[in-house]
Amino acid sequence: MANVLGKRYVCEKCGTEVLCNKAGAGGVECCDGEMKIKEAKPLPSSD
Amino acid sequence: MNTVNFVTIPSSIVPDQEILVFGSRRLTYADLNDQVARLCAVFKQFGLAHGDVVALLDTNSDLYIECYYAAAKAGLVFLPLNYRAKDAELEYMINTAQTKALLVGDRYLELVNKIQSRLSANTIVAIGDAARGLPRLADLIAKADPDESEAEVEDEDISILMYTSGTTSLPKGVQLRFRDFTAYVTANVEMADGTDRGASLVCVPFYHIAGTTSYMTNIWTGRKLIVMPQFDARTWLDLVQRERVTHAFVVPTMMKQILDEPSFANSDLSSLTNLAYGGAAMPVQVIRRAIEVFPKRVGFVNAYGQTETTSSLTVLGPDDHRLEGTPEQIELKLKRLNSVGLPLPDVEIHVRDEDGNLLPAGQVGEIIIRTPRIMKGYAGRDDNARLLDGWRATGDLGWLDSGGYVFFAGRKDDMIIRGGENIAPAEIETVLMSHPAVDECAVIGVPSVEWGQTVKAFVVVRKGKTATEQELAEFCRSRLASFKRPERIEFIDTMPKNPLGKILRKDLRAPAGDV
Repeated sequence: MANVLGKRYVCEKCGTEVLCNKAGAGGVECCDGEMKIKEAKPLPSSD
Repeated sequence: MNTVNFVTIPSSIVPDQEILVFGSRRLTYADLNDQVARLCAVFKQFGLAHGDVVALLDTNSDLYIECYYAAAKAGLVFLPLNYRAKDAELEYMINTAQTKALLVGDRYLELVNKIQSRLSANTIVAIGDAARGLPRLADLIAKADPDESEAEVEDEDISILMYTSGTTSLPKGVQLRFRDFTAYVTANVEMADGTDRGASLVCVPFYHIAGTTSYMTNIWTGRKLIVMPQFDARTWLDLVQRERVTHAFVVPTMMKQILDEPSFANSDLSSLTNLAYGGAAMPVQVIRRAIEVFPKRVGFVNAYGQTETTSSLTVLGPDDHRLEGTPEQIELKLKRLNSVGLPLPDVEIHVRDEDGNLLPAGQVGEIIIRTPRIMKGYAGRDDNARLLDGWRATGDLGWLDSGGYVFFAGRKDDMIIRGGENIAPAEIETVLMSHPAVDECAVIGVPSVEWGQTVKAFVVVRKGKTATEQELAEFCRSRLASFKRPERIEFIDTMPKNPLGKILRKDLRAPAGDV
């Protein structure tokens, strides 16, 4: 899956998180596996 | 990560997006990034090095935010000072933090001038139009070239030293790390990507955690931030209309002032979708009135948190504020309007007794919490209230209902012990506040030879109403257990409060002139 601007990717094995600040066609990998998108859980507040 | 990335990354993606508005100044991400880089160069010219403390004393502005990010960029610790603090408190905060550089707004130059000889800071700079013999920051920025470097920071490095409001004692310097803010911001909002995320109006002081997290999250997510120097109800309403504000945060006293402002009825608030409140307990009468008179699409949010936990721990969301459903559902919602809601996804909450045992729903005890964003500690102190396995004792009393909603019952320090019976002031205050003549009230324990402590209430009477001590005592008699009834009721003209509207009980306890 192509990288998505502004998304955080997390390695489910070692816990590393990567932030994408320029999107491209490639995907990020860590510990021999594809890293998964970590969604923000929006606060229902002014923040 | 270094929090300056909350500016530099969006700036590389959407440089032309307008992100910061203060008075007539309107900054894009590129403008903000450039200003931060120049300020960073100025801070380095002061001779400040990694981990040194730079303090700022002024009301909110765009420059305030730029100074924070420039400090982060240079790897410095930023100390936002309470501009309502008195001379001795300022001196205490500046010196215990071992501040190296102090940035001072126009309004505070004279005050700083008075205490300057006793301060640890050897660089003092004026950040407004006036100078009073000090170097002016604007002149230094004009001569500086942008510093494009970024300090390497460790997650454990402190980014902000924030002194707590000190409602019960001297303020304590809370050490918040880069990682605390990164955890909070990235967990709760998506990064700016050019989509329209609305506009947020910030009116709480930046020396408060709610003000700080507000500029961090909004700038990171690309929600235009409209900064007010200080709160004023009429201007707040004007700005909501003019800037088509979608999000705002107010403290309870501000909410009351907004509702009482004569121009409220004629204000166009149709852009507003999210109105959050917190910082102090919200009188239920005020929030019920707000629900009635604000446009129906406004989602209200009550947020409870601490400086020590990098802002919010629980929220009572918009659905909980919509008083709709069956009569039973409405009754439950009305009860829960007195609560601070449910824990956020990264927060666990327990209530325990004095021996550390977990308490079941409905019983009052100390609120203890666990979250990845608990402060590093207090500057120069070891009383950080950290428990085993990463839990923290908040010093707040509360209880949970059967659905896990958290109800706040006051500060542990405020607990009154009368003849061995624990009495939470909040319970008595809730009863007094339900009397039609009571506008505000606070309950404290006063020393008693016979009982150890007895209950005393301070009451501000609502305008146009009257009440006697006897009448209020009678009112309490039918609603409270005998040992909880106030034995003395004193009428006062105004309630002493901190800038966020929290009642200063220490001022009520202190004899006049000894505050």
